[in-house]
Amino acid sequence: MISRRALELATAVLTGGFGVAVVVQSLDNGVGWSSAGVDAGTFPLLTGTIIVLGSLYNLVRGVLPVASLANVPVAITRIELSRLAGLFVPAAIFVAAIPLAGMYVASALYVFAVLAIPRHQSVPRALVMAAATALALYVVFERMFQVSLPHGALAAALGF
Amino acid sequence: MDNLGELLHGFSIAVTVPHLVLMVVGVLLGILVGVLPGLGAPNGVSLLLPLTFGMQPVSAIILLSSMYWGALFGGSVTSILFNIPGEPSSVATTFDGYPMARDGRPTTALATAFGSAAFGALVGVILITFLASWVAQVALAFGPAEYFAVYFLAFASFVGMGGAAPIKTVVALAIGFSIAAIGIDTVSGSVRLTMGVDELVKGVSFVVAVMGLFGIGELLVAVEEEFHARAVSSKIDWREVFRAVGRLPRHSVALLRSAAIGCWMGITPGGPTAASFMSYGIARRFSRRGRHFGTGEVEGIISPETADHAAGTSALLPMLSLGIPGSATAAVMMGGLMIWGLNPGPMLFVDQKDFVWGLIASMYVGNIVAVALVLLTVPVFAALMRIPFVVIAPLIVIICVVGAYSVSNSYLDVVMMLGFGIVGYLFKKLFYPLAPLVLAIVIGDKAEDAFRQSMLMSKGSLGIFFANKLVTCLIVAGIALLLLPLVLQLARLWRKPAAPATAPTAQEKVII
Repeated sequence: MISRRALELATAVLTGGFGVAVVVQSLDNGVGWSSAGVDAGTFPLLTGTIIVLGSLYNLVRGVLPVASLANVPVAITRIELSRLAGLFVPAAIFVAAIPLAGMYVASALYVFAVLAIPRHQSVPRALVMAAATALALYVVFERMFQVSLPHGALAAALGF
Repeated sequence: MDNLGELLHGFSIAVTVPHLVLMVVGVLLGILVGVLPGLGAPNGVSLLLPLTFGMQPVSAIILLSSMYWGALFGGSVTSILFNIPGEPSSVATTFDGYPMARDGRPTTALATAFGSAAFGALVGVILITFLASWVAQVALAFGPAEYFAVYFLAFASFVGMGGAAPIKTVVALAIGFSIAAIGIDTVSGSVRLTMGVDELVKGVSFVVAVMGLFGIGELLVAVEEEFHARAVSSKIDWREVFRAVGRLPRHSVALLRSAAIGCWMGITPGGPTAASFMSYGIARRFSRRGRHFGTGEVEGIISPETADHAAGTSALLPMLSLGIPGSATAAVMMGGLMIWGLNPGPMLFVDQKDFVWGLIASMYVGNIVAVALVLLTVPVFAALMRIPFVVIAPLIVIICVVGAYSVSNSYLDVVMMLGFGIVGYLFKKLFYPLAPLVLAIVIGDKAEDAFRQSMLMSKGSLGIFFANKLVTCLIVAGIALLLLPLVLQLARLWRKPAAPATAPTAQEKVII
């Protein structure tokens, strides 16, 4: 279970971290006024600083007990968390598999896995849906719109 | 009367067989994403965007805008029949729409909603027809300082009127600006904010961000709760459709008031969601039958629907004439415009007359097509709600992945898209607004360039922003909007020294 407070905290740290990265990077580009006008780093420095300050404010607001929203005890329950993971983890594995297996094979496997393994659909139906997905991608992108999707290292090794 | 001539010319572009087919396809796809929870107009438009890269700009914008109309209508269908808003902007429609449908009058509820929605859209389009070219003409005289002031006003109004926590809005805006700055700086040519990743030199495409934020993020929010579609009958009684539409003029005050609220909220970037809530709230306060709101009142359907569509339509006015989108969906469309090689803003009205007037004419036709199609297809789409979410979810993931990849054939984009998905989920969950984030990613560069060019002109003096009346007014209005939340907070403290912190309102739960 994840509390609203923890979630607010994590998000504020995330945005704040991004802000710090922006500030640090912008210093490389030069800040202030030069013969060419406002230097390239000035605007990012400004936005980065705003992000950091805003994140600090959100951090404090999210943690302090006076803030009404921090009092919501549970933001994500255990069941919700498992549902989230059930969607996101296969999606992440799918994305990770693309360089190796290619878009078509990876997406077919992905559809098959999320439908057949938790038994949402019978195996034959999941197979049909998986094949249909890969075929639809091929027809729409490779044929109709002439966009080449990655075929993957495996296909390259096999000579496609 | 110039505008009318141009409009007629626009009709000759919009009313051709290929474009009518595109409208039908767009509206049907739009209703589909509108009906499916977890997908909305911004997602739908961004999912479709990569497919338009090879099209003529007019055809592409007709397809995308038709999808937008379809999504606006589709969102109302599920609100009324299932009590599940398919779109954040149709949440307010559930308050009276669902009770009326449950009481055995689904046709009346749907027809009232569609009729008033069409009226709202019509007012929005008429406003665009007559005002857009005028605004563009004024804007042609703008220099960089004026442009920066307009951008500033747009960003400030998100903070002042967006409805989300002001500091969260500011953070979202600043993150958008920083993302827009990644890559090669257009003024100096130096490489910025690549965090040591060479591939980031090309910058972060807004399509990648939108796919993640709206596509994956929304999906994660939707998967959290299992929803059960408990439908009331979705049979349409055609005679009742005409009777319900015929009764609409009796509520002309509510119609006009809601349309005005919608147009105002659409042009200033309040967006359709805020507009529909505001309109519902005002209607409940001023209606003679205000006490009955929530039990299936006709005006409780008219007010949010009219405002929703008026706002959705008029959000395209600032996009076309100033290059500043009034809603998240308009921001996505504007990104599309730039990808198709057009430069959104007043020059469109000079250089791309066919495009602008073709689009405006297509809004008239597209909305008629949308009303007709949505009435005809209500039973079909109501049946679609029974497709289990587990089947739809992986398909949406695949569309997002392929879409992100096809922007510039880069695997890094796909990974970033997934990252944006997590950010979108967190932001949605914690009521950080996504619309200003997207807006800043799309026009952040332009705002920065405008600022730096004006600084060059004035040799580094901020005085250029107070050099003439127009620019001063815009900047002062922007600052006022920025400070508005602070002033309201102080006023509240001053009136009630120990007031309890405000609870999250119903509106906060649905802010994009």
